[in-house]
Amino acid sequence: MIISVENLVKDYGNARVLNIEALQLNEGIYVILGSNGSGKSTLISLISGLLKPSSGNILYNGKKFDASIRNHISVLVQKPYLFKKSSYENIISGLKFKKINKEEIELRLEKYLHYLDVELLLRKKSHWLSGGERAKIALLRTAVLETEVTILDEPTAAMDIESTFKAEELLKEIAANKRTVIVVTHDVFQARRIADYVLFMDKGKVIEIGHKDDVLDNPQSPLLKQILNK
Amino acid sequence: MVLKNLDSHYSYQMQNKGEVMFEFIEGFFTTYSDILPVIALSLRVSLTAAFIASLFGLTSGVIVALNEFKLKKLIMRVTNTLMSLPPVLIGLLVYMLISRKGPLGSYGLLFTPTAMVISQCILVFPIIFGLTVSSVSEAAKDIQLTCITLGAGRRDTLLTILSECRMQLLSVVTAGFGRAISEVGAVMMVGGNIRGKTRVMTTYIALETGKGNFEEAVFIGIVLLCISFIINIILYRIQRRE
Repeated sequence: MIISVENLVKDYGNARVLNIEALQLNEGIYVILGSNGSGKSTLISLISGLLKPSSGNILYNGKKFDASIRNHISVLVQKPYLFKKSSYENIISGLKFKKINKEEIELRLEKYLHYLDVELLLRKKSHWLSGGERAKIALLRTAVLETEVTILDEPTAAMDIESTFKAEELLKEIAANKRTVIVVTHDVFQARRIADYVLFMDKGKVIEIGHKDDVLDNPQSPLLKQILNK
Repeated sequence: MVLKNLDSHYSYQMQNKGEVMFEFIEGFFTTYSDILPVIALSLRVSLTAAFIASLFGLTSGVIVALNEFKLKKLIMRVTNTLMSLPPVLIGLLVYMLISRKGPLGSYGLLFTPTAMVISQCILVFPIIFGLTVSSVSEAAKDIQLTCITLGAGRRDTLLTILSECRMQLLSVVTAGFGRAISEVGAVMMVGGNIRGKTRVMTTYIALETGKGNFEEAVFIGIVLLCISFIINIILYRIQRRE
């Protein structure tokens, strides 16, 4: 899916938190970098339809956002809520909402579960899970949906290093078959490992966008240079 | 030998105790045969009222909790006022509505259990609605967001919120039922406290106390307490299991 952003503005009262003239996202993994309050979460909330823009447009294959577009976008928010059910039921909850049949559910579980070694967690109720385990279940719940666009806000922030690497392999799998994956992270090294493209944001604007090697090896903005040098 | 004697002695005592208990229960229900229908009607009326009020109160409560709109604050203020509305006032309003000269007079509802259910519904609805809004507001928004991000429709989202907040909502429904079954003013006015037809536990207590029959009034009071106790035990067990 091609996502085009045109003159996108988001205001909260008098404060302008996002102002993007033009942006186009295609297939592949896009990693959004930026400091706190740079507008990363606002941008993905707007793209996913969770927020309405103050002005401007977001087009999905040339069409405006509607209920049919929502079906092609899945989102993992920063602090995901897990239902008071078993991990297994949590993982398949989205598939059940979408009325996916049992055979297909089994196929998807077989395809994705092994990435994060969660077999032993499947029977556990969500309130017994640790922070990292909750993050894994929430990521899998989003992954199994196999939507054209998957948006993830700091999906590995609560995971240990080993699990983070495994989750990154899962992100690459999600992006296979010409899908679009948008990942917000503060981890520049993670961006190097998984990104096809990198967006760098500051003060509600996209400062740099391009192939990860171009942006991370040859940054143009002084702020990104400063961050990468640290 | 001594042990055998003791054993037979205790078994005789136990048998004796059983007989005494049986005689007590048998004698009790013979004496108070008119009490059982009163208890049954109380439960029937209050359970029906709590069920109907919950059906509308929980659903509308969750919807209001999820949405921000101009009139929300006003609705909540009015609800808070209605939560403490005197039952006799509700009784008066329902009486005027269903009395022969009232707008619903042709239905012949006055002094029927249906009229009692209507007045208890009006009494309980604001309680269930108000408590639902305040108890699920925080959690409901998180659950709604999750449902949307997973592609759930409105119906699935609402059902998921009701299911996820079931423990809070169960407490809300219990509070509503408690209010209904303990209410006396409204059911007295619109039911008429007619023996065998609209007499419920609370109106029975009021009547028997007025007649000086404290024994029967106290017994019904104990039954009311027992019902409340049993409901709380069930609620506690469900919460522990969860």
